[in-house]
Amino acid sequence: MKVTLNWLRNYVDFNGTPEELTERLTLLGLEVEGIVRLTGQFDGVVVAQVLSRDKHPNADKLSVCRVADGQGERQIVCGAQNFKVGDKIPLILPGASLPLKAGDTQPFTIKVGKIRSVESHGMMCSHEELGIDPEAIGHRREEGLLILREEATVGQPLAAYLGLSGSDVVFDLEVTPNRPDLNSLIGIAREIAAVTGNPLRLPQVTFPETQGASASIRLEATELCPRYTARVIRGLKVGPSPAWLRSTLEKVGLRSINNVVDVSNYVMLETGQPLHTFDLRRIQANEAGVAEVVIRRASDGEKFTTLDGREHTLNPDNLLIADAAGGVALAGIMGGLHSGIQDDTTDVLIESAYFTPTGIRRTSKSLALRTDASYRFERGADVQATESASRRCVQLLLEVAGGTVSGAAVDAFPNPPQVKELTLRHDRAQVVLGVEIPSETQAQFLSGLGLEEVGQGSRSGSVTSVWRVPSWRVDLKREVDLVEEVARLFGVDRIPSTTPRGAVGAHPFDATYDRFAEVRRILTGLGLDEAQGQTLISDTAARWASPDVVLLANPLSSDMNALRPSLLPGLLDSLNHNLSRGNGDVQLFEMGRVFSLQNGVAREGWRVAIALTGARDPRFWSGADRDAKADVFDLKGLLEELIERLGLRGVVYARRPESTVLMLESATVTLGGKLPLGQLGQLLPTLAKRYDLRDAVLLAELDLDILLARGNSARSFKSLAAFPSIQRDVAMIVPEAITHEAVLSAVKQAKPNNLEAVELFDVFRGKHVPEGHKSLAYSFTYRAADRTLKDEEVQAAHDRLVGVFQSALGATLRA
Amino acid sequence: MSLQERLPAILAAAQQELRAAPDLSALDRVKGRFLGADGAFTALMKELGSLPKEERPLAGKAINAAKQELEAVLTELRGVLELKAALPKEPADFTLPGRRRPLGRLHPLTQVTDSIVRAFRKLGFAVAEGPEIEDEVHCFDALNTPKDHPARDAQDTFFLDTAERPLLRTHTSSVQIRVMEKTPPPIRIVVPGRVFRRDNADATHNPTFHQIEGLYVDRNVTVSDLKGTVEAVFKEVLGNDVKLRFRPHYFSYTEPSLEIDFTNALVRKLGKEWLEIAGCGMVHPQVFENVGYDPEVWSGWAFGFGIERIAMLCYGITDIRLLYENDVRFLKQF
Repeated sequence: MKVTLNWLRNYVDFNGTPEELTERLTLLGLEVEGIVRLTGQFDGVVVAQVLSRDKHPNADKLSVCRVADGQGERQIVCGAQNFKVGDKIPLILPGASLPLKAGDTQPFTIKVGKIRSVESHGMMCSHEELGIDPEAIGHRREEGLLILREEATVGQPLAAYLGLSGSDVVFDLEVTPNRPDLNSLIGIAREIAAVTGNPLRLPQVTFPETQGASASIRLEATELCPRYTARVIRGLKVGPSPAWLRSTLEKVGLRSINNVVDVSNYVMLETGQPLHTFDLRRIQANEAGVAEVVIRRASDGEKFTTLDGREHTLNPDNLLIADAAGGVALAGIMGGLHSGIQDDTTDVLIESAYFTPTGIRRTSKSLALRTDASYRFERGADVQATESASRRCVQLLLEVAGGTVSGAAVDAFPNPPQVKELTLRHDRAQVVLGVEIPSETQAQFLSGLGLEEVGQGSRSGSVTSVWRVPSWRVDLKREVDLVEEVARLFGVDRIPSTTPRGAVGAHPFDATYDRFAEVRRILTGLGLDEAQGQTLISDTAARWASPDVVLLANPLSSDMNALRPSLLPGLLDSLNHNLSRGNGDVQLFEMGRVFSLQNGVAREGWRVAIALTGARDPRFWSGADRDAKADVFDLKGLLEELIERLGLRGVVYARRPESTVLMLESATVTLGGKLPLGQLGQLLPTLAKRYDLRDAVLLAELDLDILLARGNSARSFKSLAAFPSIQRDVAMIVPEAITHEAVLSAVKQAKPNNLEAVELFDVFRGKHVPEGHKSLAYSFTYRAADRTLKDEEVQAAHDRLVGVFQSALGATLRA
Repeated sequence: MSLQERLPAILAAAQQELRAAPDLSALDRVKGRFLGADGAFTALMKELGSLPKEERPLAGKAINAAKQELEAVLTELRGVLELKAALPKEPADFTLPGRRRPLGRLHPLTQVTDSIVRAFRKLGFAVAEGPEIEDEVHCFDALNTPKDHPARDAQDTFFLDTAERPLLRTHTSSVQIRVMEKTPPPIRIVVPGRVFRRDNADATHNPTFHQIEGLYVDRNVTVSDLKGTVEAVFKEVLGNDVKLRFRPHYFSYTEPSLEIDFTNALVRKLGKEWLEIAGCGMVHPQVFENVGYDPEVWSGWAFGFGIERIAMLCYGITDIRLLYENDVRFLKQF
C-alpha cells in the first residue's frame, strides 16, 4: 500500500519528519518498505515578466532580455519569437532541472552560461519544455514561450500558479493480511491519530440527496454479497481529471484514466472500499423503466468477457453483476468489457458493495484474475462502509465531473451483522505483556482506534470493560486481540526485557561438555569403543604411570587404594578382562579424570586414552593384509586424525631414547616441542605378560584439557585450486638417524616456490640399501594459485630442493 | 546378376556373421572381411567404376546405404560385447559379508547421561561440573549436613592421604554450592559426574558411580515447577508412559524434601509397583544463606539421581560391575 505524506495530512496532523513517521508506523506493525521523496513539479520554475527585449549582438534569431523574477532582475538569452515586453512567462532558474521527457535518462539542468558570448542566467520556457498541455490549463497553444495569464504574480512558483502541489513523500507500507482496514488512507491515518493523540479528520460529505427511483437491485446471492449499495448520477462529463486528483493517484502508482474512474480509485484508496462505476446505458431497465442490477451466481458454462478483453467461462461459484441480458461485471473483481465508462458516458451507476472474502478468493484464483478490488475484498472489506464510500464517491464525482444525483440511494442489506463486543480485563495486559499499563491509558488507546467502551464491570477480582468493535476491524476477535492493540500503541519497544526464565543456565563447562561429546564422536567414528574404568586402582599399577600418586586414607582393599594418575592402567585391566574372555581384538578409548599429587596437594584433570591390541581390522575373507595386527602407526593415525579434527597445529612426536616403566618403545607428544600433551607407544612385554596379553599392545594418552584449550574449531573456506599441479617424486637413501621430521624441516628451510604438498609414499630397507641407511620416497606437489606452472620453473625449484637434501641430510638419490 | 541385385545377399550375410561373433576380436575380424581393404564392400565399390556412367550414382547410393546399415549394426553389437567383456569371470556373490568399517560405540553410561542432559538442556539448563576431590565445606557443611551425620563418617566416605584430608565427593550436590558461591541467581544447571561411596563392589554397588543433579534457582520457584520439570525429564528419558509418585522424605539440604518413585511397563514386568528413582526438594533456606542468597527473594529446587540405576533399568542390565569391565561384547550391544 502506497500513501503520501500530503495525502495523509488531509486526515490527521503529523508534525514530525518522514523518518519519524516511518519509525512510528513500523513500531505500530505497519512496516515501511520504502520511502521516496518527490520533488515538487516545476521546482525552480517561477513566473517572470519580460522587462526588455533587445536583439542579440551576435545572432539574428536570438534576443537578449531583462526579466523580473520577483527577487530581482536577470539577463536571459532567448530564441523564441512569440513574446513581447510585459508578457509573463515561466522562467527556470539556474540549478533547476526541466521535467524528464520520454526518452530522457538524465534531467536537463539549467546553468549560467554564455550564448554567443552573452551571459544568460536562466531560461524562459515553452510548454513543450515544461511538458504541459497548454489547452488543458486554459492557455493558448503556440510556437515559442508559454505565455501566462496577465494576473499571474511575478515570483510565484509555477506550480502554485498551476494549482499543483509541491514536494511530497511516498511511503510504501507492508500491510499484514489480518488488517484489511489498513489498505486505506483513512485506516492508516487512524493509526497515526491513535498513536499521536491527534484527531482523525474524516472527509465531510454533503450533497443534496434526492428522492425517487434511481435503480433497482435484485440481490439473489446474499451469502456471497451481503450488501449492495447503488447511486445514480446523470449528466456528468467524462474528461481528464483535475491536476490534484491526477497527481495524487500518480504519486501512489496509479495511472490516471478519466475523472470518473479516477474518483472511484481515489475513494477506494481513501476508504478501502472498492467501487465500480457503470455506464447506465449498459444496464437494462426493468418494466418500471429503472435500471435493474441483478447480483447472482453465474450459470454453469456462462461466458463473460472482462474489460481486459479476456473471455472467461464461469460456474455457479462465480458471482456476477448482471442485468436481464447478462453479466456486466465480475463481482468485486473486474468490470465487463462493454459496461465501463466511455468518453461519451453521461449517466453512471455507482456500485459500492460488500463481497465475502471466500467467494472473491475462489473466483479470483480460479480465473487467475487479481485486481486492487479483489485484493481488498479477499482480505475483508468493511461491510458498514459501503454507504459512506458511495456518498464520498458521489460528492467527488459531482465536484470533478459535474452532473446531478438522480433518485434515492438504493441499499440492499438484508441481514446486517451483529455488532461485536469484547471484554477486556485490564490486568490481563500485565499478565500477557509483563508491564503494568494503567486502565485509563488502555482505554485511551482503544478509543483512539475507534473502539467504543459500552460497559464496565469486574470478573474474578479484575476490572473489566466491554468494547464495541468497529466494523472495519475484522481482526479483533477476542480479548487477547485487544491486549495486542494496547501493546502496539504502548510501544513494544517500551516493554522491558527480563532475563529469560530458564535460559539463564550459564556455566563454563557447558561448552566443554559439547566438546567432550565431539571427541567421543570422533573416536567412535574411528572405530573405538568407549570404556569407563574405575577411579580407584592399586597403587602398584598407578606407579607404572606416575610416581606422584594420591593414596586413600581409608581404602577398602589394596587393589583399590589409589586414585588413578592415568587412564592407562584401567584400560590394561579392561584388555586383560577381554583377553580372559576370549576377545582378542580390542580397541578402546576412555575419557575421564586423573589425579596427581603436586607439593602434597591432590590435583585433578581430564585425559583421553586409547588402547589397541589384536587385529587391525574386522576379519575379512580375502586380501593380503587381512591378518594384520594393530601396530604403533595405527595408533598414531588415530591420534593424528583426532588432533587434526580438534584443530591443533604444531604437534611434535619425539621418540624416547629408552624404554620406560610402562612402554617398550614410545614417543612423547608435545605442542611445539615444549608443552607436554601426552605419550604413545607399545607396552613393555613384561607387563603385557602380566596382563596375559599376547599381541602387541599400543597405548596412548593425551591431556584432554590442553587438547581442547589449544584446539581451534573455527573453519574457513579456502578457494579450490583452479590451476593444474605438477608432481615430482624423489627416492633417496639417507642415514637411519635422518627422520621424516628432519626431511620436512629441510623442506621448510629450502622453501621451494609453489610447493603445495609433501607426501611420503615409501620407506624401504634391504636390497640395494646400505646397512645403517634407509630409502625414503617422497612425492612433491607444486601448484600456483594464479596460473599454470611451467615445467622449467618447477624443475628449477625442485632441483634446489634436492640439492638441499643432498647437502643437509647426506642423501643420495636412487635411480 | 547386377551389382544392385547382389547387394541384399551380401548385406544379409554380413549381418548374420556379425551377429554370430562371440567376442570383440571376432567382431573386428568379420568387419575386416566386409568393410576392410579386401572386403566385399570395397570390392563392390571398385566394381562401380565399370558400370555405365548413368548407373553409377544410383548403385553408389545403394552401396553406401548398405554400408551405413552395417555400421549401425556394428555399433550396437560392439556395445553389447564390450559390456560382456567388462563383467568379471566369476559373478559377485552379494550375499558375502562386506568389508566393514565398524563404528565404535559409546559407553551405555555416556548414552544415558547424554539423554538426561539433553532433556534438561531443552528446558534451558546448562551443564556444569565441579571437582571430584572435595572438602567437607562443599560436600557437607554448606549443604546443611549435621556434624554427626553418618555420611561424614569414614565408614561411608573415602578420605585422601593428604595433608588437608580432602575427600572424594559423595554426591554431585557439592557442585550446587560451588556454582552458587560464584554465580548470582537465577541459576539453571545440570551436573553429571562421578561420585564415590565406600561400598564394596557387588551386583548393585560399585565404589565409583555416577549421579546427575539439576538445580534451579529463581524468583517464585515452587514445588509445582519442581514436579513439572521432573516429570518432563523422566518422560523424555524413560518414555511417555512413565508415572511418577512424590513421597515426603528427608534430605538436610532441601525443605520440603521428596523422594520420587516411578513406574512403567518395565517396572511392572519386574513384578514391582513402584521403583525409587530420585531425591529432590526445595533448596533449604540455610543452604541459600550459606552461599549468600537471600531466601526471602530466591527460591529453588534441586533433584538428583544415579545414572547407573537408570542405565540398568533402560537396558535391563542386572549387574553394575558389567558397566566397569568394558567387555567389548557388552559395549557392542549399545
